Amino acid sequence: MKSPEIKKLMRDSLDGKSDAGNIPGSLELAGISYDFNEGFTEKVMRRLSGASLTIVRDTEFKSSLNFAFYRIALTGAAAIIILMISIFIMQDSFSFNSFLGLGDSYDESIVYLLTGN
Amino acid sequence: MKESFKLAGDDELVKASLDGDKLAFSEIVNRYRKMVARTVKGMLGDSVYSEDIGQEVFVNLYNSLPGFRGEAKLSTYIQRIAINLTLNEIKRRKRFFSMFSHKGSDEMSEYEIADPENEEKREAKEVVNKALMSLNPKFRIIVAMRLLQGYSTKETAEILDLPLGTVLSRHSRAQEQLKEILEKL
Repeated sequence: MKSPEIKKLMRDSLDGKSDAGNIPGSLELAGISYDFNEGFTEKVMRRLSGASLTIVRDTEFKSSLNFAFYRIALTGAAAIIILMISIFIMQDSFSFNSFLGLGDSYDESIVYLLTGN
Repeated sequence: MKESFKLAGDDELVKASLDGDKLAFSEIVNRYRKMVARTVKGMLGDSVYSEDIGQEVFVNLYNSLPGFRGEAKLSTYIQRIAINLTLNEIKRRKRFFSMFSHKGSDEMSEYEIADPENEEKREAKEVVNKALMSLNPKFRIIVAMRLLQGYSTKETAEILDLPLGTVLSRHSRAQEQLKEILEKL
């Protein structure tokens, strides 16, 4: 098909008289077809495999992080409990002062310690 | 490739792809690659970037398959992804050219791949490509849908998710613009 015929086909395609469904067929007969290069499907599949691998690695990293967090959190909680027990044993109370290590100090002696007077 | 997938319906292919069957998905790619090529290359021209966008269409499709409810046909769903990615690429190019060049065009003729077809076919393809590339992207999509995909105005409205009136008005403006362009070519 020569270019004046192609131009006519393009014009006619929009005039509403021609059946839209037949236009791509006419273009293909004129040698106007569109496709991707060879190996397109393989490239898409390779990209998808790469994406899946990234997702798997990402999931593995997240689960390792979760595991590490739980271990750290449990160790921390155990340390706090041991500290509280030792404070209770030493100070015989759970008051704020006992937590600060001031359980057996008088207020005046604290003032003396802080001001030196 | 499994022979059964070549004869399988779209629903079956989608289901198998969701179950992780890569062969089923590669059959979807084979089945719709030409349709996507017509949209992407018709809108962006026969450039190396069109290949990348084409791949992106199917990667996006794969990732969005779990959300595909089957309300629309698979071809319509793929077409929507292709149109969205192509329009995004056109916008990106416009921004790029407006920053770095006074050309302000989304034509990529310098990247065109040599066509092995004979002279007459090459010339005919060039006329179609040049005419499409000279159209405003808003009208180009309407022309491409009809000329390259054979969709009616109603189907185009459905795929583009636009009111029929809007598509009809763009259609008539595209017709005027195309007539002017073809006279100059």
